[in-house]
Amino acid sequence: MKYLGLVFANLRRSKLRSAMTGAAIMLAVLLVCLLLTMPAGLDALLDNLASNTRISVHNKAGIVYSMPQSFVRKVRQVDGVAAAAAITWFGGAYEEAGRVTFPNFAVEVEHVGAVYPDYPISAEHLADFKRYRDGALVGRQIMRKYRWKIGDRVTLRSTVWPVNLDVRIVGEIADDHSPYLWMSTEYVDQALKAQGREGLGIANVVWARASDPSRVNAIMRAVDELSRNSEAETACETEKSFFSNMFGSLQSFVTIILIVTALVSLCIVFIAANTASMAVRERAGEIAVLKAIGFGRRVIFATLLAETLLLSALAGGAGVLLAVALTRALRMFSGWSEALGPLAVFIITGPVIVQGIVLSLCVGMLAGVVPAYGAARKSVAETLHEIF
Amino acid sequence: MPLPLSYSLRNLQARPGRSVMTACIIALVVVACALLLGLISSLKQTFVRSGNPMNLVVMRKGSDNDGASQLAVQAFQAIRFFDGIARDAADQPLVSPELVVQPFFRTRGGGRENVLVRGVEPVALAVHEQVRITQGRMFTPSAHEAVVGRAVLGRYAGAELGNELEFGRGRWKVVGILEAGGASFESEVWVDVRELANDAKRPYPYSGIRLRVATPADFEPLQRRIGDDPRYALEALRETDYYAKQAKSANALYVLVVGIAVLAGIGAGFGASNTMYAAVQARTAEIGTLRALGFSRGAILSAFEIEAVALSLVGFLLGAVAALALSRLLEWWLGSLAFGASTFTTNVITLHLSSADLAGACGLALTIGIGGGLGPAWRAARLRPIEALRKA
Repeated sequence: MKYLGLVFANLRRSKLRSAMTGAAIMLAVLLVCLLLTMPAGLDALLDNLASNTRISVHNKAGIVYSMPQSFVRKVRQVDGVAAAAAITWFGGAYEEAGRVTFPNFAVEVEHVGAVYPDYPISAEHLADFKRYRDGALVGRQIMRKYRWKIGDRVTLRSTVWPVNLDVRIVGEIADDHSPYLWMSTEYVDQALKAQGREGLGIANVVWARASDPSRVNAIMRAVDELSRNSEAETACETEKSFFSNMFGSLQSFVTIILIVTALVSLCIVFIAANTASMAVRERAGEIAVLKAIGFGRRVIFATLLAETLLLSALAGGAGVLLAVALTRALRMFSGWSEALGPLAVFIITGPVIVQGIVLSLCVGMLAGVVPAYGAARKSVAETLHEIF
Repeated sequence: MPLPLSYSLRNLQARPGRSVMTACIIALVVVACALLLGLISSLKQTFVRSGNPMNLVVMRKGSDNDGASQLAVQAFQAIRFFDGIARDAADQPLVSPELVVQPFFRTRGGGRENVLVRGVEPVALAVHEQVRITQGRMFTPSAHEAVVGRAVLGRYAGAELGNELEFGRGRWKVVGILEAGGASFESEVWVDVRELANDAKRPYPYSGIRLRVATPADFEPLQRRIGDDPRYALEALRETDYYAKQAKSANALYVLVVGIAVLAGIGAGFGASNTMYAAVQARTAEIGTLRALGFSRGAILSAFEIEAVALSLVGFLLGAVAALALSRLLEWWLGSLAFGASTFTTNVITLHLSSADLAGACGLALTIGIGGGLGPAWRAARLRPIEALRKA
């Protein structure tokens, strides 16, 4: 500890160099943290949000193969099902964007609240959703992206059904993992019938909630049994399995992101090592003198290593803080992306922060150890001879 | 009078360790950027190559992709005989009615992906000029046969010539493999349009029409005639525009590249700057001598800038070689990469670094070199000869 003054003085010796190295480390740690939020977003979706009591019931052949809307009533009667709601893809394009920029679904207003009791939707918003025929619940991220407020009316032009619908935003789903919009099945149905068409009639997925996690398997078997030999045979799976299948193809992209992260990390090691070796070289004479007057090799080694470690820890810490602040800002602008799905939610989790800090310490160690060891080992006579 | 080029280059050799280290810093940033740029351009290419400049896509008004559109048989019968449509040798119009469905496929790894299955008639091969059956043959209608794209081959259980694929409500025998020069058709499975409509129980047998116009002058009259027809509420888009729209899904990835280029670029610039500052400091006396000999400030400035640029070029070359090697390695390791598309289907792409991607990475390396060298070069040029010499 008593050498801390020396370490700080050495860091201050070439202020410009320390500042630039620190800034480089800070930016790189920031970048690594931002990149790591992508796989972390996927993990968070699978681990925290997918409930172990919710079951997805969909056509065995695929979600687009759909099933009769009425099948949900049969699901509700299955023993152990606490609630079930049918969901149909509306595929509405928000008129200002001109294409589908966030997922939007027609849902059964009366039942959806009971299927998603864990979702942060206030009771008041849910009640309004039930009250207003044209009501819509919107994920917080989308509200922010389009600067919508509760009470706003927006027009969605469906790319699947031949209707344009005016919906009124009556509430929000207050988390960053739900970038979608729910509207009433009945409202869509009536709009279709008003045009002399058949009405909605189909559902893509029926989400069912089991009263007890232990009954999930029995429910899945019972539902599949109900649909056997019908027009639309179903295949049930848990919510977690549903999402991991849905985003499973992103795994290879995640690998590339991790490779890029590794490259950037290696890059900071080089930057810090370069600085450390320059510092040691310039101070060769001074180090020799220190040794000559009795400072041990260990002290020399430790102070030099501490110098690099301190710089990278401070800079890395700043980078992590900056990442926390920046993701907050990024979430304001980011939305649903069909190419990236849950990778683009920019939620910084505990593990990301820990990884950022560990990375900065590793950089300091890796970068500092070789030059410090070299300087500590070099013989006094040899060094002094080189200098004078 | 400028300093000779060899002055700058020899200076790089004076401290080889440090120069190599700095070049490595730049190289790493180049690899990271080139990799992502390659990913984006590969993704975009699959869409760009899918559009035929002489083709029109006809969909229901308001649909943004043919997977979400539907269209009645009457509409197809009417459009088939519109003027301005190209005809084949047998004088049949080149109009291909198609149905797009996105069923689940089991991947080899046990996962599940939505794959675009396109129901077509034999005329489709004439309309989509770039699509060729390279192995096996085209399917026979009503025989539950399928032709699979090159990228689909081997990715899903049973997706091999002679094997049976299971999707939708039945099993389909794979009788041919189609290639399309890297277009997104290679991620598709083609079957008989009637069988597919039956399997998916669609109320409308077609989701859209692809047709070839006779001459470029026919585009606008045809588009207008189809769009204005009050009976069917359809719209016609040029196929190139249609796929350009699909390619926009890749744009979200640009944010990533820009983020990496800016953050890692600035970081690497600081790293390069550090090296150059140290070089200037070590050569103070030498610079003083040069100034005393009559070399101008501009000459000193440009000598150091050239040194920095040379360093970044070395970094770029190292990085480009590493990036090419890494992309080959990834191809071998990961095989092809899958991406979601706006049609709810999986687009399978092969990572390929184009010269444009490398040029982008080169631009970044040069920016790092020039930017990072500016400060030190400026300091060197501003040294006063007398003070610099006194330090010696």
